[in-house]
Amino acid sequence: MGLFDVKIISEHFEVPDAKNLDYYEKKGGYRSARKACSMAPESIAAEVTASNLRGRGGAGFPTAMKWSFVPKDADTVYLVVNADESEPGTFKDRHILYWNPHSMIEGVIIAAVALKVRNAYIYIRGEMAREYKVLQAAIDQAYAKGYLGERIFGTGVSVDLTVYRGLGAYICGEETALLSSLEGGRGWPRLKPPFPAVKGLWGKPTIVNNVETLANLPWIIEHGGKAFADLGTGRSGGLRLVSVCGHVNKPGVYELPLTVTGRELVDEVCGGVKGGRKVKGIIPGGVSMPVLAPDELDVPFEFDALQKDERIKEVEVRPGQKFDLGGNRTLRTMAGSGGVVVMDDTTDMTQMAWRIVHFFAEESCGQCTPCREGTGWLAQVAHRIAFDHGRAGDVDLLASIADGIAGNTICALGDAAAWPTLAFLTKYRDEFEAKVRGAHRPPTSNWGAA
Amino acid sequence: MQRHPSFRARKAVPGKELSTQIEARIQQLWSRFPEGRAGKALCLPVLFLAQEQFGHVDAEVVDIVAKRLGLVPAHVTGVATFYFMLNQTRPGRFHLQICTNIGCQLVGAYDVFDRCKQRLGISNKGTTADGNITLTEVECLAACGYGPVAQIAERERPEIPLYFENLDNKRIDAILDALAEGRVPTELGN
Repeated sequence: MGLFDVKIISEHFEVPDAKNLDYYEKKGGYRSARKACSMAPESIAAEVTASNLRGRGGAGFPTAMKWSFVPKDADTVYLVVNADESEPGTFKDRHILYWNPHSMIEGVIIAAVALKVRNAYIYIRGEMAREYKVLQAAIDQAYAKGYLGERIFGTGVSVDLTVYRGLGAYICGEETALLSSLEGGRGWPRLKPPFPAVKGLWGKPTIVNNVETLANLPWIIEHGGKAFADLGTGRSGGLRLVSVCGHVNKPGVYELPLTVTGRELVDEVCGGVKGGRKVKGIIPGGVSMPVLAPDELDVPFEFDALQKDERIKEVEVRPGQKFDLGGNRTLRTMAGSGGVVVMDDTTDMTQMAWRIVHFFAEESCGQCTPCREGTGWLAQVAHRIAFDHGRAGDVDLLASIADGIAGNTICALGDAAAWPTLAFLTKYRDEFEAKVRGAHRPPTSNWGAA
Repeated sequence: MQRHPSFRARKAVPGKELSTQIEARIQQLWSRFPEGRAGKALCLPVLFLAQEQFGHVDAEVVDIVAKRLGLVPAHVTGVATFYFMLNQTRPGRFHLQICTNIGCQLVGAYDVFDRCKQRLGISNKGTTADGNITLTEVECLAACGYGPVAQIAERERPEIPLYFENLDNKRIDAILDALAEGRVPTELGN
């Protein structure tokens, strides 16, 4: 069996029957949840620590460490599943919810035992109507079997799982905004600290975990944390679901070792670039993350490597001046949400940059001035450049707005708009400047014009 | 946000009330939230269900929902205007939403969107004169590998929305033809 053949979550993707509890159970499903119900919470946490499982939502934070922040004497702890997948380029959680919902439900049970949770909630993206139906049906099956609700599997453990539908706000994927929304308000992020693990839903300790993160737990409990860590590399355990879109022959969702590089991903996994053309840039983890140029594709798409490997150029505010990530750190890129966007050599990078900042301008929640105003300015200036009516100085203006937003907002949406902007300017600056030099009026397109 | 004892609700709107299905759903979900938190927590689900019932969420619907859940209308208005999926004005019978975000943009979403604008004779967020179709440019629908992607919702029919993937001029033409005939082409959807 080759390395690409090992599967944890995606083994039964595309099998229509896999959504059903009977099928899932026949393949060994719910054994781990049953086992977890008779395990001490500390032993489950120990396995997760040993597994090196890192959050699959975007930040890559070690799951066990997040769990450990819950105060030991807490009377009520909530578990919330973040199924609000909306980072452009990312569509892996949607696959789990549709093809293998029971793996996530089983993960919820395991996490609930480990964290002593009585009530868990799944916050699912409102647009995912098809997935909502499948998920709710799967939960109903689990309730009917006695795998959710009072005294599950006949043990002393009780867990309720409630689906909560979002209503179309990207910001609700940010964990504190998600909690504000789940409480029934506008999706406004909150300042951290206090972190949700200490003060979250209704002021109680709350763990927010991504769908894929939880769906890995049954395997970890079945095979042990060490086996999971061994599948990974360095400080990152397991495999990773990667969703690939853009100019490749075989876009889709793939479960891959973390050692796979950008070049292998495009050429070997996705059948190469469409039409035999060349790669011009790859976004490795959703549009918030800095783009990689063609000479940076031999780095593994792994959390630490993408942040630290020196083959990836540091993002600059202007040529020669590195962007300051705070704490004397510079920014290369990050693994983010696993949403990979491949752009071929016919792509107009100025239009890509514009569409990305246009998205963030649409989705800013409006709380913090640098983001509310800044993302709108970014979109205006990027639009001018991309559609041939840029003005002298616009490239520097774009960089200065981005630099002014980054690090100055409650949540990461401001950074998410600033980082890709600066990365596009760092790596394709000539193209932006040429666009401005060749600008003419009136604009050549009204895409996205107000 | 619980209602202050001195708060007096606006007069109930005669002839408009939440359906029995929504009432049943409220009953079902109420106990899933902690004591004293359910009214506010149910704000989003009930607004969404009310939109399915009434077609959109205007001030009148806000009042009905606020009254039922014991919330101040200002809070419910704040929620209703924050979320993209709640329509404050009545959309066309069919709400055609085209994703133009990066994954779809790279494979021709703006051509598809331009085609819709041209054939329907409306711009983004416009509704055709006969009230049949509202066209909206939307953000990522999490189907990036299968773009360009559209979603079609039919007013007051909660079982539709459907995704339509791998769109090109031919497929979007077939979809627009079907919508003009007054039906969602479910055979083309996912």
